[in-house]
Amino acid sequence: MSSHWLPVAGEGLRRLRRWPLRTALSAVTSAVAIAVTVNVISLSQGLDEDIRRDVERFGLRTLDVEAASVVAPGTRVDPLTLADLDRIRARVADLDPEAVVPRRHAVGTRIPDGRRVQLVAAPPDYLGTLDVPLAAGRWLTAADAAGRDGPGPLACALDSQAAADLWPGLAPAACLGRPLEVRVAGRPLRLVVVGVLSDPLRYRVLFETFDSSRGARTLSSALLAFRNVYLPFEALDGAPLSGISVVARRAAQVEALRERLFDLWPPRAAGLAAFLEPGIGVFVRKDWMDALGGSTQTGVMVGNFVWIVIVLVAAILIATLGLVGIRERYDEIAVRRCEGARRRAVAWQITVEGTVTALLGGALGLPLGYLGAALLRALVDFPFRFEIRYALPATGVALALGLLGSVLPARRAARLDPARVLGRRIT
Amino acid sequence: MSAPSSAPLLVLRGAARTYGRGPLAVPALKPTDLVVDAGEYVAVMGPSGSGKSTLLHVLGLLDRPTAGEYLFEGRAVAALPDRDLAALRNRAIGFVFQRFHLLRDETAERNVALPLLYAGVRRPERRRRALGALEAVGLAGRAGHRPGELSGGEQQRVALARALVKRPRVLLADEPTGNLDSAAGARVLELVEAAVAAGAAVVLITHDPRVAARAPRRLGLVDGCLGPAAGPWPAVPAGPGAR
Ligand SMILES: Nc1ncnc2c1ncn2[C@@H]1O[C@H](COP(=O)(O)OP(=O)(O)OP(=O)(O)O)[C@@H](O)[C@H]1O
Ligand SMILES: [Mg+2]
Repeated sequence: MSSHWLPVAGEGLRRLRRWPLRTALSAVTSAVAIAVTVNVISLSQGLDEDIRRDVERFGLRTLDVEAASVVAPGTRVDPLTLADLDRIRARVADLDPEAVVPRRHAVGTRIPDGRRVQLVAAPPDYLGTLDVPLAAGRWLTAADAAGRDGPGPLACALDSQAAADLWPGLAPAACLGRPLEVRVAGRPLRLVVVGVLSDPLRYRVLFETFDSSRGARTLSSALLAFRNVYLPFEALDGAPLSGISVVARRAAQVEALRERLFDLWPPRAAGLAAFLEPGIGVFVRKDWMDALGGSTQTGVMVGNFVWIVIVLVAAILIATLGLVGIRERYDEIAVRRCEGARRRAVAWQITVEGTVTALLGGALGLPLGYLGAALLRALVDFPFRFEIRYALPATGVALALGLLGSVLPARRAARLDPARVLGRRIT
Repeated sequence: MSAPSSAPLLVLRGAARTYGRGPLAVPALKPTDLVVDAGEYVAVMGPSGSGKSTLLHVLGLLDRPTAGEYLFEGRAVAALPDRDLAALRNRAIGFVFQRFHLLRDETAERNVALPLLYAGVRRPERRRRALGALEAVGLAGRAGHRPGELSGGEQQRVALARALVKRPRVLLADEPTGNLDSAAGARVLELVEAAVAAGAAVVLITHDPRVAARAPRRLGLVDGCLGPAAGPWPAVPAGPGAR
């Protein structure tokens, strides 16, 4: 066998040249499996990259001091106050953070329809803690805060999700200049839209799935909902602070800042579990972004599961076609055995045939996969990152497919009893 | 075509082949003693179902006896692994069947070269020897034709060339003329007898007494029992293998 495995492989290749329909079907099966595989890989790769990029928008250098009321509504917690803001500023002053930004939350109702409106009062530098572009108009300025005392309505900016809730079907630019009246803590507040933020989450659906899969509106939805109406910080005077963000100048400073803030509010639980504890906590955005980014791993895993199942089904199909083929080739196999082929040489030939067929199919599957990805991209807004480097894993998959699909046919061929065929007991 | 040892070429000692077991067992070949010497020409006759093919498959190492012993050139076959059996079939045993059993998608030349491929012979040498073997059976001009393009007699001669290209020490023929008319059959028998003249042993199975009569040693097989064949034998011109 060792001395002539090459010519025996050649025998297998010669058979392929005749390319019977069965072989063509096996190749097509392989092609489809490869096409699916590269699509799933390119999709999960693209999603993973996009989500990570989206998530990084929320500031890898930012720490948040939060009263954890968003997690456990109804739980009484000591609110953050302006005094806390001063304590933080004093504690971190020598580390020279880029910004220390407080914000206030309140829930209002729109007049006249009573729709719930999530209000966030934030100073002008709040937007700088995020990397979210404006879809239309502008962000709030110090001059807007001064408008509080004037006769006119107060400037506000909206998340695009909030805009869509308030004025369904309206483009962001069309929302500019629209009046909005809300009742907060019993007082009416007249607002006018000056800017609309774009939605920082391209794949919001996925995040919402991530949330509901954990059975609760957790931190990601609270922080990533982006359904807010933003007001000047002073507009909600008297309301407690809901959070204070500290932005480091460099990522390397984050740890030092965390230690300082821990001096003021010692850690209550490890990692993200702290969010489930009532009270005031210190969170590093990078931590939960890592966790969130990690959730895309689930998506990648599901994707991998899908293509592995497809490849297994393809292998079964190829094996079935191969077995049928062997059934038709008893005579040929018996003759080869008779003329000196070892069982192993027969198995080798069948394996070469199956594997080369799968590889040829795989070569067809790559352009097919590319076309499929292009088509899907045209139909749905999903990030297929089809890259030529997927050719390598695809080749591996095709190879595995061929080998897997050849095991049973090769076994049947090798086990054939040539005497029974040549004595015509079976044909 | 050297029979290396002083041992006889083929020896069956009480060798039997039973298919299946229990009440359904078929004793296709009952315990049999047989010695075939190098260069010997033996014809085996017997009615259909008497176990002729079974005997031939055992002799050709395509099948193993279920009882008794088989020595090929003095070596006990029972102990040999698939690799050694394949090598013996490849180099020492030529086969010819009633139904030719050629690879129908391959040319005559490639069919003939098949055993050389499994012997690890290089391609130019394979070609050369295959063409030589085809020439020896009078088919030099048909090397590029596929079995479907050849007559039955020609196909059988291709099969014979395939069996002889390995210069076998024994040629096993299972009714090689069974599917041929008398002229084509005679042509095939002449070639078989030429192989005998060249030193190969032949075990030839046939239904036809006139074919069997050409062999100097004739055996009969009835119900799996091998013995001397009963006459009378038609007179035939003595072939080159007659003694
Ligand atoms: N694989 C098998 N399983 C069961 N019985 C078998 C098998 N092969 C052969 N037989 C039986 O063994 C007996 C001998 O078969 P064999 O093929 O050797 O006969 P034969 O003399 O070659 O017949 P023919 O002249 O028709 O070719 C027959 O009865 C046959 O039915
Ligand atoms: Mg028979």
